[in-house]
Amino acid sequence: MADKEKRRSGVNPPGMPAGKATKSDSDREFLSQAGVGDLLRGAILKMVEARSDDPIGFLADHFCNLASVTAAGSGGCGDEEQVNTGTVSAGAQEQQRLNRALWHLRLAHHSQRSAFSNNVRVAYDLLNLTGPQTCAGEFSEGPDGPCTDSPAGGGGVRGGLYTQTLQCLCSEGGVPASTSAPLLRRLHCHDHEAVPYDVFRHGVLTCAVFSDYIRQAQRLYAEVCCPGEGTASRALCLAVLGTLKEALETSQGSDTNYCANANTKVNSCPEANVKAIRYLEASAKISPCKLAQAMAGAQTQGPGGNMDAKEFENAAAELFITRVKVVS
Amino acid sequence: MNRLNPTVPADQYLADSNVLFYLNDAVIQLLEHKEEYNQFGVIRYFAEYFSSVKNSNHVLFREFNYIQATPHNRASFIRVFWKCYRQIGKSGDLLSMLEYRSLLQLLCPDFPVVLVQSAARIAVMDDTIDCLMSFSDFLYAFQLQFYYQEFLDCVLVIYQDLLAEENNKEERPQDGVEPSTLVQCIDALCDRSKHSHPPRSCMREILNQTDRISYYSFLMSLAKQEAINQTIGVLPSKAELLIDPEMDQELDKLIAQIVVSPSSNSSSSAVGGLKEVQKKASPRRNIHHRRRMEVESDGSTEETDSSEN
Repeated sequence: MADKEKRRSGVNPPGMPAGKATKSDSDREFLSQAGVGDLLRGAILKMVEARSDDPIGFLADHFCNLASVTAAGSGGCGDEEQVNTGTVSAGAQEQQRLNRALWHLRLAHHSQRSAFSNNVRVAYDLLNLTGPQTCAGEFSEGPDGPCTDSPAGGGGVRGGLYTQTLQCLCSEGGVPASTSAPLLRRLHCHDHEAVPYDVFRHGVLTCAVFSDYIRQAQRLYAEVCCPGEGTASRALCLAVLGTLKEALETSQGSDTNYCANANTKVNSCPEANVKAIRYLEASAKISPCKLAQAMAGAQTQGPGGNMDAKEFENAAAELFITRVKVVS
Repeated sequence: MNRLNPTVPADQYLADSNVLFYLNDAVIQLLEHKEEYNQFGVIRYFAEYFSSVKNSNHVLFREFNYIQATPHNRASFIRVFWKCYRQIGKSGDLLSMLEYRSLLQLLCPDFPVVLVQSAARIAVMDDTIDCLMSFSDFLYAFQLQFYYQEFLDCVLVIYQDLLAEENNKEERPQDGVEPSTLVQCIDALCDRSKHSHPPRSCMREILNQTDRISYYSFLMSLAKQEAINQTIGVLPSKAELLIDPEMDQELDKLIAQIVVSPSSNSSSSAVGGLKEVQKKASPRRNIHHRRRMEVESDGSTEETDSSEN
C-alpha cells in the first residue's frame, strides 16, 4: 500500500497516522464488501488449474464471462447495460447458456481428469434446464456456483443442444467441419431426445480427445511433408498412419472405454497399472525411432504418388472414429 | 494448454506470468476510484483492466515504474509509442534526443532522460548524442534499450572490463574488443542471468562477422536485427513501419478538429473550405510541424489537449 500512497501525493507528510488509518480501513471495508478477496482468489485458482499459455488472456476472458453471467443473473442491475432477462427470447438465452457451458469446458484440459470432470458437470447442469428460465435463482450462491439442485432441472440436456456443444468443441479445437462430421454422426442425439449425464460426458470427452488427436495428426503431416511442395509422399503418409493405427490399437481406445465407466472416478490399482502399460506401449509406437523405422521401410517399397494434407487428416480421423461407439 | 509441463509448480507459474503484479495494480487503481464502483461494477472493472492488459492498452499515461515493471508492459509501451508517432516517420523529419524524450513524456510523464540518452547513443553510435535521428532509427534503438535494459547494462560492464584488459596489454588504445571473447562472456551471462536477453544466435551472428567490435556498434547491429524485432513481437519490420491506413483516416478527421479549435489562428474560416486547402498543401506536414513547435517551445500540451475536446 506504500506504492499507493506515493502515487497519490508526491510527498508523504510525516505526521499523518490518523488519516492513513482511516483511509486503509475504508479501503479494506470497500474490498470486503465488494467481495474482491473471494473474487480474486477464485480467479487465481481457476487460472492455476487451467495453466493456460496465455494467463493474462485467460483472466480477461474469465472476468468478462463472470461479468456477463452476473449481469444476466441479476436481471440488468445497476449500471450494467445487459438486456433484461424478461425481454430476451428463449433462443438467445439458450445460446448464452451454451456459450457459458463451452467456456467451462475449455477451462481444463481433458488430461486433468478431476478438473475436467468437474467442469463437465457444471456445463451439464447449465444446459440441463427446460424452458426460458430467469437465471437469478441458480446463481444466488455466487457467480460460479454449480447448481447441484437445479430448481427446474429437466430430465437431460436437449439433444440438439448436446449436438451443438459437440460441434463447437470440435471446431474450436481446430478440427474442420468435414473432418469431424463422421465423428458427430456417431455421437449425436436427436433433438427430441434428452441426453443423460453419462452420454454427455462421453461425447464431450471424445470430442476433446479427437481435437487433440487431429492436431497431432496435422503436426505429424507437417513433419513428413516436403517444405516447398506442400504434399508428402503417399508411402510415407501410409507408414505414419500405420504407426498411428498401431498406437490406437495398443491403447485399445482406452479413452473411449474410460468413458463407459464415466461414474467411477477412482480406478482400482491393477486396472490403473494395465492402463499405464498400455499408454507407454502406445507412445513407444509413436516414438521418433519407431516412426523413423516405419518411414525407412516405406521409402524402399510401397505405393507412389503424393498424399495431401486433407487426405491424411481424413484418414487419421477415420482411424480414430472407427473405434468410437455409436450412441444409440 | 500448458499440459506438457504439469510439473511447473503453481508459484512459478504465477511468478512467470506476472499476474500477481497486475492484480495488485488493479486493486490499487480500483481503490483510487472506489466511489465509482458498486459490487457489480467491480467484476466489470477487473474484466476491463485485464482486457486492456491483454490488448496492450494499459500503459498509456501510466507512471514509469509501472511501464517498466514487466516485459509485456515494456513491449506494450514500445508499441504505443510507435502507434502514436509513426506519422513523424512518414514526414521524414529528424528529431533530437530531447525532442524524442518530450514525445515519450507525453505518453509517460516521468520517463527518465537517461534511458532516452542510451537509446540515442545506440542509434547514432556516437558520444555526441545531439545528432538528429530518424524515427525508425530511434524507434528500433529505443526498443532494444528499453526491453533489454538490464541485460545491456551487464554487457556494458563486461565490455568495459574486456576493453580495460586489452588496453593494459596493448600500447595504443583499442577501438573495440575481440569478438570471440565477448561471445564467451555473453554466453556465460545468459546462462546465469535471470533477465530476458536477445536470442543468443542473433548475438553470435553479429559477433562472428567482424574482427573487432565496439559496444555501440554491437548494439546498433542488434537493434537492426529483424529476428530480435520479431522475438519482442510488437513492431513491424522496417519496411512496414510507416504503413497505417486507419491513422491516415483519423488524421484527416483530426485536421478538421484542429482547424476549428479556439487556439487555432484560422478559427473563423469555414471548415469545409479550409479543409480543402489543407488537403492540397500536404496536411500531414502541417500537423507534424504544429507538433514540433509545441515540442520545441516548452513541451506544453495545450494544443493537443484542446484538439482532443
